Amino acid sequence: MNLFRSEEHARRWPAFLPRSEEGFIALPDLVGFFATESRHHMLEPDYLSAWYPRRAAERRAYLERIGKTAPFWLGTPDEARR
Amino acid sequence: MTDPQLRDAMFHRIMRGLVDTGRAPHYAELARPLGLSVENARLLLHEVMQAYPIGWLHPETDYIASFPPLNNLPTQYRVTVGGRQIWFAQCGFEATSVTWLFPSQTVRIDAPCLDCGDPVTLEMRDGSITRVEPAGVIGHLNFGFGPSRGRPAFL
Repeated sequence: MNLFRSEEHARRWPAFLPRSEEGFIALPDLVGFFATESRHHMLEPDYLSAWYPRRAAERRAYLERIGKTAPFWLGTPDEARR
Repeated sequence: MTDPQLRDAMFHRIMRGLVDTGRAPHYAELARPLGLSVENARLLLHEVMQAYPIGWLHPETDYIASFPPLNNLPTQYRVTVGGRQIWFAQCGFEATSVTWLFPSQTVRIDAPCLDCGDPVTLEMRDGSITRVEPAGVIGHLNFGFGPSRGRPAFL
């Protein structure tokens, strides 16, 4: 999960995987993805028990909101492998 | 399994230690403040990491390597706050959430582009981007999320 100067720079990266063409995310969307409510509470004494468990649902809801609904982003099994 | 409040307490001390000093405390340092024996603190650390699987210990050790959004092991994502560069982000994505650990402060992320080595710079304050150079900076996920991809989530 990296930041690149542009998509072209990412594609020139020797480790770039062809499958990851669907792995680009605009910076504002990325910032939003890592700014869901639970993230605001990482320094609270009960973060691990009270806030961290909410993270997965928040992430999924956010990804669906920005249209990243493929298994690659949601972490669900690929259709082809079912 | 330990009392969840004790896990919360250790988690909080690790995160607070990272924010305050740039490094995660060792479990032996946390034992006495938490009222535990050193061995029980070590066991508790493993419980904390199991409950927070987006972080990890260095393989076959009890050393914290990654405790996102920050990393105890240096990465290319250098974090500067208040003129001090003592932190590292776990990855480029987690770097964008370091801002939530430093309220009302400007958080600067500097990293070399993995393609060309030229700089990527991002500044944020309270969750908002205040500066980005170059303007075309983009996030890239090389391996998809989830166990079906079978690769470490940090790549």
